[in-house]
Amino acid sequence: MPDVIALYIHIPFCKRKCKYCSFISFDDRVNDIPAYIDALKQEFILRSVSATIETIYFGGGTPSLLSPQQLSDILAVIGRCFEIADDTEISIEANPGTVDLKYLADIKEAGINRLSLGIQSFNDAELSMLGRIHSSKEAGAAVRDARQAGFDNLNIDLIYGLPGQNIDDWNTSLHQALDFHSEHMSLYALTLEAEEMLAKEIKAGKWPQIDADTVATQYELAEELLGQKGYRHYEVSNWSRPGRECRHNLVYWQEGSYLGVGVAAHSYIEKRRSANTGDLDKYIKALSQNKLPPQEIDEIINPDLEIAESIILGLRLCCGINIDDFEKRFGIDIMKQYGKQIEELLNFGLIEKNQEYIRLTPQGRLLGNEVFWRFLPDKI
Amino acid sequence: MKQFKTRNFCIIAHIDHGKSTLADRLIELTGAMKNDKIIEQVMDSMELERERGITIKAKAIRLSYTAKDGITYELNLIDTPGHVDFSYEVSRTLAACEGAILVIDATQGIQAQTISNVYFAIDHNLEIIPVINKIDLPSSEAERVLEEIESVLGYKHEEVLHISAKTGQGVPELLEAIVKKIPPPKGDLNKPLRALIFDSHYDSYMGVVAYISVNDGSIRKGDKLRLMGQGTELEVVSIGYFNPKFTPSEELSTGDIGYIATGLKSVGECRVGDTITSLVDGAEEPLIGYKTAKPMVFSGIYTTQPEDHGQLREAIEKLSLNDASFSFEPENSPVLGNGYRCGFLGLLHMDIIQERLEREFDLSLIVTVPGVNLIVTRTDGSQMMVVNPSDLPEPTEILKMEEPWVKISVITPSTFIGPIMDLVTQSEGIYKHTEYIGHLHTNNVLGQRVRLEYEIPLRSMLTTFYDQLKSRSRGYASLDHDMIGYKETRLIKLDVLVNGVVVDAFSRVVPPDKAHEIGKSMVEKLKDVIPPQLFKVPLQASIGSRIVARTDIAARRKDVLAKCYGGDITRKRKLLEKQKEGKKKMRNIGKVEVPKDAFMSVLKMED
Repeated sequence: MPDVIALYIHIPFCKRKCKYCSFISFDDRVNDIPAYIDALKQEFILRSVSATIETIYFGGGTPSLLSPQQLSDILAVIGRCFEIADDTEISIEANPGTVDLKYLADIKEAGINRLSLGIQSFNDAELSMLGRIHSSKEAGAAVRDARQAGFDNLNIDLIYGLPGQNIDDWNTSLHQALDFHSEHMSLYALTLEAEEMLAKEIKAGKWPQIDADTVATQYELAEELLGQKGYRHYEVSNWSRPGRECRHNLVYWQEGSYLGVGVAAHSYIEKRRSANTGDLDKYIKALSQNKLPPQEIDEIINPDLEIAESIILGLRLCCGINIDDFEKRFGIDIMKQYGKQIEELLNFGLIEKNQEYIRLTPQGRLLGNEVFWRFLPDKI
Repeated sequence: MKQFKTRNFCIIAHIDHGKSTLADRLIELTGAMKNDKIIEQVMDSMELERERGITIKAKAIRLSYTAKDGITYELNLIDTPGHVDFSYEVSRTLAACEGAILVIDATQGIQAQTISNVYFAIDHNLEIIPVINKIDLPSSEAERVLEEIESVLGYKHEEVLHISAKTGQGVPELLEAIVKKIPPPKGDLNKPLRALIFDSHYDSYMGVVAYISVNDGSIRKGDKLRLMGQGTELEVVSIGYFNPKFTPSEELSTGDIGYIATGLKSVGECRVGDTITSLVDGAEEPLIGYKTAKPMVFSGIYTTQPEDHGQLREAIEKLSLNDASFSFEPENSPVLGNGYRCGFLGLLHMDIIQERLEREFDLSLIVTVPGVNLIVTRTDGSQMMVVNPSDLPEPTEILKMEEPWVKISVITPSTFIGPIMDLVTQSEGIYKHTEYIGHLHTNNVLGQRVRLEYEIPLRSMLTTFYDQLKSRSRGYASLDHDMIGYKETRLIKLDVLVNGVVVDAFSRVVPPDKAHEIGKSMVEKLKDVIPPQLFKVPLQASIGSRIVARTDIAARRKDVLAKCYGGDITRKRKLLEKQKEGKKKMRNIGKVEVPKDAFMSVLKMED
């Protein structure tokens, strides 16, 4: 068992499902929250190990549907099952449409110290297209309440590359977000999968097709603006004030160990990646019988794959891959092992390197997949 | 004598008129198989055939039928290929029969291939039993079709049977007609052996299996035999007939249809159409003139990944053991590397070979633009066959150039004569003849049905001719074609450059006055099928060093997964694996990743 693991807790409930969401979440099961919390507590007990937790992340779904008391109870159980470091980063995702000043103050009191607000846009037409439950006004109020409640580590999520969204629309939303001086910004290009409502609506002609060139320009605009405002770009879609990177997410990109608890939560511990069932009923039932939930994924990451994944994830970080660290970890000279790919990508201008590191160029960050697939092992 | 209780026949029909369904019904009614076992039409054995609804390889089934006269007859049903690409195989099949059931769809009437089939059968002196099929369908127009048959083919109403192969209606009467009308095989048991090979295939256990009809004499296991046309000598390893599976027997004698396993390694040594006789004291004269089917359409076959070339060689060699009608020669392309220039009977044959290579040998292939063979006379008087546009001599060195022409026959409602005439003219064709053949109810608004005859360069049929014929006639027109020989022509080579590199796989020979138009549409088409690359890609069409058309593919700017957290890693990795797999279906040309489909798609142009 590793010394340190990151802990993720999935809260699969929403008031309403957003039209672009492919995460496991249920908008008709909020009555099951108490039973679900009991199941979560049981899973913590079953999975308790002697490892130190340095980051905890409540993701969803909409974790802010949980009451401060429920969150506090969960944290108490975690404290009994694991060693929790003093400076543990405890994040929660919150929907601006579900929070007020009192709620935010109470969860802060319960121990949450990092708040990630899913604002997505400051344009009401865009919010409605996305199927969000809040307005831009409520979004602004949520940020102000968060500050007043004492949150000094705040993330704002925005989505760009929306159907019909032009450069100016994006520029406006971005400026409004920047006015709040959050410590962290996550900017996601809209990625749709065929079965999602918004994808279907585009296909049916309700919204225009997404234009990849516009998305690229929007990204470049964000990169420039956030740079001017003192944010450091540290991962493909993430920016922060220096030292305010999301420590929990860094664990993923640095191929650290993480334990996921709850419906559909993924874990990666000792080269084994697993995922709990996405079926809420099966999950609750198994734990009510004091059994671990059925696993949807359970794979051993072999050394070749581990190397490939650590390159793919590592290159997502703007600091790239440290050549020495890589050699220490895997006993491989990356330049020798992947000389051909690296040469080709350098020629395309998608990566850059020096003695210390290999990393994506700004162009490479937009064309990351073209870089990443080249490092996958050949199938046997 | 057994010979006189034997009836050898085939079923001929335009595609989809119900040939295979009728075969099923005959098998079922004579009890060769229980109905529930006839899941699919049993005579189509290759998976590919079933998917395309076409029979590629002729096979035969022995049916036992007790007629009303109380005698039990042995009926040999030989299945024929349904497509004009395989007309040589059809003609050999007909030569093994004494009769043919001519199937005509009650909803569609006579179609182009119906007529060519009938002429074919008449050429072979077959007794023809015309039947109207699908009379159970509400859209059946049996009466009208009956009139059409009389006016076009000359069969009286009472000679024509009405059946539904699907329901079995009228099929018992057809069985009686087969016994009564079709004569028994002629042949003489006491003469030296003469048997016709009407089909063959390669089996990894038995070697080449030849499907034969015994005309004179008999064959037993262990007999030493000789092929009169090719001179191949062989020994009969195993002998039998089809019921519908291989059923070993002691011998095949005069009038019988069955198989012999020869132990030969390649169907090329045991070609369809040859006559088998005894090695010692054999016959003097073969049954029919033996010739090999000549490839008419040529294209290059390459693997998308150059390192797979060895596998391609192996696959082509293996497949050629089983298909003697396609030719192949190694060739080298500056862009695609090592591959083969292959010759096919037609476009369908080309598609089938490609699919079989990809499916049976798990290869990813590039098939270059198909073309015809040109006879080029150089200024120094020497002649050469050109099957690859890249081999075309410089225009100044060419004295004369000839290309193959075909006669086509189109049956269509008269409304569409104008659009079809335009298509033929655009395709450089020449009008020959019109013949009015009658009405169908539903076609009254569309006018009379006519048969049109044209001559056009085979080259023009290799692109979208058939698709356009169908679309211009709203699906009504049917087409048949026949080689008529070579005519003088003047063509030039049109090249396509991708990112500045001439891609020989896209090169075509075209008439000079159409080069600009064709070049333009080729680069536009390629722009649609080649995905944006990491840099801007110019596409050009050229004649010699002169650029006649150009367009650019803009660079791709964005391709990245926005989110990749703990729960995404496995799923996103799989997406990347897919992306990587997709690259294997691409060929890298001048640093540009070209999807393999691009090579054929340039032909599928809009008009």
